[in-house]
Amino acid sequence: MKLLVRSVQNQGIPTASMADIAFLLIIFFMVTINFEVDKTQVLLPKTQIRLEIPKKAAYISVTESGQIRVSGGEEISVPVSQADVLSFAADVVARDPAKEFVLKADRNVPYRYVDAVIDSLKQAKAQVIYLLSEQETISVAPGG
Amino acid sequence: MKITRRKIDEEIPTSSMADIAFLLIIYFMVTTTFAATRGIDFSLPQDEDTPLVDKEESVLIEIQPGGVLLVDNKSMLLEEVLDYLKPKLERNPMKPVIIRAGEMTEYGYMVDVFDEIRQAPDKIGFEIKNVSIPTQREINMFWY
Repeated sequence: MKLLVRSVQNQGIPTASMADIAFLLIIFFMVTINFEVDKTQVLLPKTQIRLEIPKKAAYISVTESGQIRVSGGEEISVPVSQADVLSFAADVVARDPAKEFVLKADRNVPYRYVDAVIDSLKQAKAQVIYLLSEQETISVAPGG
Repeated sequence: MKITRRKIDEEIPTSSMADIAFLLIIYFMVTTTFAATRGIDFSLPQDEDTPLVDKEESVLIEIQPGGVLLVDNKSMLLEEVLDYLKPKLERNPMKPVIIRAGEMTEYGYMVDVFDEIRQAPDKIGFEIKNVSIPTQREINMFWY
């Protein structure tokens, strides 16, 4: 007499929903991805006040050696000379007077390079500059 | 004679769908860069509201290379600046605070000072409204 009939357990991992999960991840990445218009590698200054920068803002990056790249906010940044920053900024402001500018400068760059860029933006009648920064972490002394 | 037609499978082959999806995920994960999109904002004065600033009637914060601060010609630490400004600005909230970095001062130190001043509402209880960062050209033209 047959006493026990054991049901055979399926030992495979269910993978039917794998494609669904994968496509959900793809959609997440596609929605959240930000295409950087400027990929210049700089060491940003650290601040505690950090406001969200509007999308499509114009970028001006200044490296530690004073090299400058600019982008109107939609195209990839291009290198320019110091003298060309004013004409670039004037052109951007002429197209959109309320356009925000982002200054992405290395924290170790001598201030005279940044001063010249800010001066060009002032002459071009730019309204707002965002000084791009990293989050400053507050260190608390032990027991403090 | 019986002719047997070979049956064509009418389904779209989806077995490679998950592979394609995971390849796309890997592509997005590798190419995604988490852009720093925050910074400290700085409104530029427009021509019509640019007053001439008298050095005697303002607080002058000079930043020297290495981050050495001179506030009204007194050497000071960054943490002491707001305590120095508080009584002066309580008497006259519109007193201009001028931040002036030397040509060779590292840009990061200027941002540190600007960030500290922007934290005034949290640290001394009121906002410092009249902050000016004159450029070298403006100093040469308007300073008196």
